Formats: sequence, C-alpha cells, structure tokens
Amino acid sequence: MFAHKKGLGLAVAALAVTATLAGCSSSNPLDTGDGDTGNGATTAITIGSQGFAENEILAQIYGQVLAANGYEVTYNTSIGEREAFLTGLADGSIDLIPEYAGNLLYGSDPEATASSVEDVTAALPDVLEPLGLVTLDFAPGADADAFVVTKEFSEENNVTSIGDLAPIADTLTLAANTPFEGRWFGKLAETYGVEGLTFKAIDDFGGPGTLNELLTDTVQIADIYTTTPSIKANDLVVLEDPKSLIPVQNVVPLLSESVYSDKLAELLNAVSAKITTDELIDLNTTYGGDDKPSAAVVAEAWLKDNGFLK
Amino acid sequence: MVWLWQNLELVLGLALDHARLSVAPVLVSFIASIPLGWLANQSRVLRTILLTLGGVLFTIPSIALFVTLPVILGTRILDEINVVVALSIYAVAVMVRGSADAFASVSKDVIGSSTAVGYSRWGRFWGVELPLAGPVLLASLRVVSVTTVSLLSVGSLIGVTTLGYLFLDGYQRSFPTEVVIGIAFTVIIALIFDAVLVTIGRILMPYTRALPTSSRASVTRVAAEVTS
Amino acid sequence: MNFFLDALAYIVDPANLTGAKGILPRLGDHLYYSALATGIALVVALPVGLAIGHTGRGRAFVIAISGAARALPTLGLLFFIVLFTGLGLWPLVAVLAILAVPPIIAGAYAGLESVNRQTIDAARAIGMTEWQLLWKVEVPLALPLIIGGIRSAALQVIATATIAGYVGLTGLGRFLIEGLAVRNYTLAIAGAILVAVLALLVDGLLALIQLLVTPRGVSRGVTSTAPRSRARLRRARATP
Repeated sequence: MFAHKKGLGLAVAALAVTATLAGCSSSNPLDTGDGDTGNGATTAITIGSQGFAENEILAQIYGQVLAANGYEVTYNTSIGEREAFLTGLADGSIDLIPEYAGNLLYGSDPEATASSVEDVTAALPDVLEPLGLVTLDFAPGADADAFVVTKEFSEENNVTSIGDLAPIADTLTLAANTPFEGRWFGKLAETYGVEGLTFKAIDDFGGPGTLNELLTDTVQIADIYTTTPSIKANDLVVLEDPKSLIPVQNVVPLLSESVYSDKLAELLNAVSAKITTDELIDLNTTYGGDDKPSAAVVAEAWLKDNGFLK
Repeated sequence: MVWLWQNLELVLGLALDHARLSVAPVLVSFIASIPLGWLANQSRVLRTILLTLGGVLFTIPSIALFVTLPVILGTRILDEINVVVALSIYAVAVMVRGSADAFASVSKDVIGSSTAVGYSRWGRFWGVELPLAGPVLLASLRVVSVTTVSLLSVGSLIGVTTLGYLFLDGYQRSFPTEVVIGIAFTVIIALIFDAVLVTIGRILMPYTRALPTSSRASVTRVAAEVTS
Repeated sequence: MNFFLDALAYIVDPANLTGAKGILPRLGDHLYYSALATGIALVVALPVGLAIGHTGRGRAFVIAISGAARALPTLGLLFFIVLFTGLGLWPLVAVLAILAVPPIIAGAYAGLESVNRQTIDAARAIGMTEWQLLWKVEVPLALPLIIGGIRSAALQVIATATIAGYVGLTGLGRFLIEGLAVRNYTLAIAGAILVAVLALLVDGLLALIQLLVTPRGVSRGVTSTAPRSRARLRRARATP
C-alpha cells in the first residue's frame, strides 16, 4: 500500500476545517472545490484528466464509481501536461487524477532511475510525500511512451530495438509532445548511445497529427502510447526497449492526501485491479470507433460490464 | 447529426459553460469602458496613454495570459477565473478604443447646448453624452462579444471547460464532425449574444431608429470594427 | 515581477538568440507565417472591400459574413483543416488569413464610404472613368482607413500565430508552449513579451505608413463625422 497512515487524519482535519469554513470563503486552501456542500453528508472531489482520451475515460471510470458511492464528483478535463496538474493538485484545483507510474516518478523527480514495478513503487512515496500526494494501488494495465516506427522503416533499416537507431540517428526526426525532449533525450544517449536525433514537437499525445507525420515519413520515429489503437491499425512497429529506458507506466490514481480515506482507497483499488492493458486498448478502440461515444459513456459501459455499476 | 443527438447532454453542457464564462468579460468591458472612454476624451495625453495601453494589452497572446495570471493574481492554476480575467482584459482593451470614439462622436454643439439649457456636468453626461454615444458603444460591444465567445475556446488548452473541448477531442480521435459541432455551437452562442445586445440596444435606445437612415448604425459599427 | 525581469534577461542574453531554438529563427518564422497570411488575406479581401465601398452593393451580405467569420474559433478551424490535410504550413496560413479578412474588408469599404460625396461627384464631373475615380480619388483619400484595417488584421494575426507551435511548426509560440509544458514561467513570459513587441513594432511601422500616405488636409479621425455625410450620400444616390 502506498497510502500513508497520516493521510486519513489529514483528511478528517481537512473535512472539519472545510465544514466550518464552507459558505464563508472559497480562498481556504483546503477547500476541495466547487461542489462542496459543507454539511459533511457528501464528500466533494474534483477529478482531473490529462489532455488525451484514455486518461479522460479513466477519470470517468474512477469518478463514476465514487459518484455511485456518495461522493459529489466534478470533473476538470484536458488539463495537459504533468507539470500543470501537479500544480493543480498542490493548489487544490483538483483532488485526484489518473496517472502513469513511471512518468509520475520522472516528472516529479528528474534524477530518478527506477524502472521496474518494484523500484518505481519503492521510489514514489519519497517523491510524493513532500508534495502532499499519495497514490493508490497500481493497476495491472500500463500505457507507456513508446518509440514507434513504420514497418517499412523497420525493415529497410533493420531497426527493431531502440539501440538499432544509434548508427543512423543523426538523419532521423522524432515527433513527441514538448516535454519528451527534455525528459528522455539525455537518457536516450546515455542508455543506448542514440545521439543526434532531430526533435519535432507535436503536442497531440501521439494523436492524428503525429501519426500522419510518421506515415508520410516527415518524421521517422514517433512517441505513440502503447495502448493507442492506431499502432495496430497501421501495422506500426514498437521498438524494443531491452535496457528499460522507459519505466513501467502502470495506471495509478494520484490524489492529494487531503481527500484520502480508506473507503475511497478500497473503492478505487477494486476498480484498478480490473484495468489491464488489453482493457485499455479496448476502451481506446471503443472511444475511437464508429459511434464516437463520449468518455462518460465509454466509462459507464465498462463499469457496468465489470459489475461496478448496476 | 446522430452523434450530436447522442451526445446532446455533453454538447449542451459545454455550450452552457461556454456562454456562462463569456458573460462576465463582456459586462466588465462595458462597465469599465464608460469611465475610461470618457477619460480618454478629457485630454490628448490621456487619450494617447489609454489607447496605447489598450493596444499593448491586446497583443499579449491569450495562452500566455491564461498561464501567467495565476502567478500574478495568486489564483489557483486551473481556476476558470484566470480565463475570465484574461478575456476581460482583452475586452476592455478593445472597448476603450470604441468607447473613446463613441464619446468623441458626440457633437460639441450638442454638449454646448445642453450646458446652455442648464445641465450640470454630471447630468449632462448621463442625460446627453452617454445616450448619444450609445450606438457606437453598442457597435464596439458587439465586436467584443463575438471576439470573447470565439477566443474562450482556447481555455480548453489549459483545462477550462468550454466548447474548445470538442476541438481537442474531435481532433484526437480524427472525428471532424465533433470539431464542426464545436465550431457551430460557438458561432451560435456568438449570434445569440449579438441578438441579445441588439435587442437591449433597441430597448434602451429607441431614438436610434428615429435617425435619418438605417445606414447610421452600420457605419458606426464599421468604424468600430476598423478601429478595434 | 521576478518572472518578468528574468524573462527580459532571457531575451537579451545573446546565448538565446541563435541556434535551433533561438529567438531569431523563431522570430523569423513567426514573421514569415504572419506575413504570408496577411498577404493572402490582402489579395482576397482588398478587392472585395474596394468593390463594396465603390459600388455600395453587397454590403449587408459581406457585413454578415465577416461578422460570422469573427465568431469562428481559430483553434477549432485549425484542427478541422489539419484533420484533412495533415500538419503543415498551409492549414495554419489559411486559418490566420481567415482571421485577417474581416478587418481588411471593413477598413476598405469604410474608407471608400468615408470619402466626401461632393468630391466623388466632382471627379465624375471632370470626366474621370470609374477606374480613375477609384484609384485617383477614392483610394488615396481612403488610405488611412484602409491601412487602419490592415493594422488591425496584422495585429490579430501576429498575436494568434502563436498557435503554430501546436501543429508542429515553430514561431514565437514555441516559447509559450515549452514554458507551459514544464511550468517555466520565465520562458513563457519571454515568449509573450516577444510576441507583443513584434506586434507593436509592426503596428508602429504601419502607423507610420498610415501617417505618410495620408493626403494633406485629410484627418485620420474621419469616422466620427462619417455618419452625417453618409445620410446625405444615401439620399443623393437615391435620385440618380
């Protein structure tokens, strides 16, 4: 368990303070947000999500379970990059957000080296505690950054693993979201000796813009997340990462200590346990499918299928 | 269209949020522009200072304003107040110019006559100058309202719920329909706002219809458009 | 205000001027996108605005269209086009040009309509063709307002060209996005300052041109007296 015992105490204290102050002022830093009724009967919680679909579906999944169990849930979608929502968690704009273990660690601590589930699990509390944050259990499913190339490129250049890029790196361009360069290029050179890649920032989280650039050979490598349906649909090759450059990216709810409770942990851990990588791919496929349902609808259907909602 | 029907709740919810967030900047700019516009006509120096300031504020990229306001205001980073304040700043920047022109358009002869018939300075402002500046003020306010509604969607890039969500979401799943619906609802809200402003203008300023030609309003509007 | 000072320090640091992420190349790109978009908008909008202003026809229609164009959210339009074309320069330029069209049209026809009716009648009376009337009388007299429209368009385009950074292009918007992505306020504010300064410089340049081309005796404040002469002009036109 990653929760700290004092989390509960803090949450109670926070609720007490919020209850007393509710209705007087919204500048109270412990104020949990818009939906605060202050009568203690319901607990208000604001759930954030990052700027891409899968994360929003996960936010809805966690949120709807909480809503069904007496929480008053509001959503804050498309927050964007990690640095933004970490600040948002710190200043109380949001209370909970679905995260990915490895990126959470590296985003909070650029010096981190952990890469396996065990190491990341062990390293996280030390990084999160000073921020007043806790994580719940990891889901078995993961959605990791991946170095993706087209099949033709892979065959022509005999590239199947990240290390294979080293000899031709200075002729290649890689597309990813803006923070990717700062976060991974140094480690890429260190771990695999891949140096001289040109970086092209396309901030669509491996979406259609990035994909199009890859398919038209404008860029040769793209950071597309492993659960993205377009990888399979376009027969793309995910380069192997034998030296574990990219750390494990299991889905994990990240929340501020002030909203932690055993009840909440129990509810969400049960949900996380069902979120496998295949389920993530399915969720993304449904979302991008012919009906284009909203994230809320996709989440609700999944929760019903898995017996969390009636 | 099927998609719109199936997701009506989502779209209408976003549209309501969008409209709600657009109201404050338009109101703020109107209220602020009246004293500022009047002030701008008190001296050449004041006019230059106010209009230059308005021009500078308008050139700040919206996304920059959205993200730096929390640092300046001490607000929470995801608070929608940041976007409302940012858009209010733009709206005021545009309105100052329109309002300065509006008060400048009131004929000096009329002002002189009203003083002659015994208006106090205060009474003259409310009874003569403001009503006569009204049509040009309205013209600028219409431009401000359309611009505000349109610009608000950028807020989605920083986690504020607006119709811009449909742009990002539709784009990410390669679904043009969703993007178009987002655009269409933005335009619809802008048109509704515009209709409301025109109606309020008709109620408050029935005298504009008594003026010689219908082209008056459009010419002042054009003037407002060029200068803003 | 610390961020602000740090941002200024960042801008004046010669080390940040050049290189792949330097201020100068990004400034150049930003200007290039903006000039291209404004140029295209000019080619499209100026003839339309002049035609409406000269003939007085199609005004209501164009006012309605350009009003609606103002309501079009730039970001939505950009994403929509990119879905069909893929990333690249032209979607961006198209969207920025759409932004620039309404103020240019408005400036052009407001400028022509502000020309004194008697002047136009006098020009016809001395035997000028419509073409001569347009180019030798109307356009010179309307230039201040025409350039006023272009100023307004250029200002909006430069401020909005920051979105280039979202579709795989560069420009000064990259400073904003990079600053945002890692919460580096210094970088974001430096980007904002650069955009604002660029916009003001271009605006100042156009203002100067506006001043230089204004024929002697024509005041820049034409708009405030326009309505009255407008009314007279309408009546004059009604009886050919």
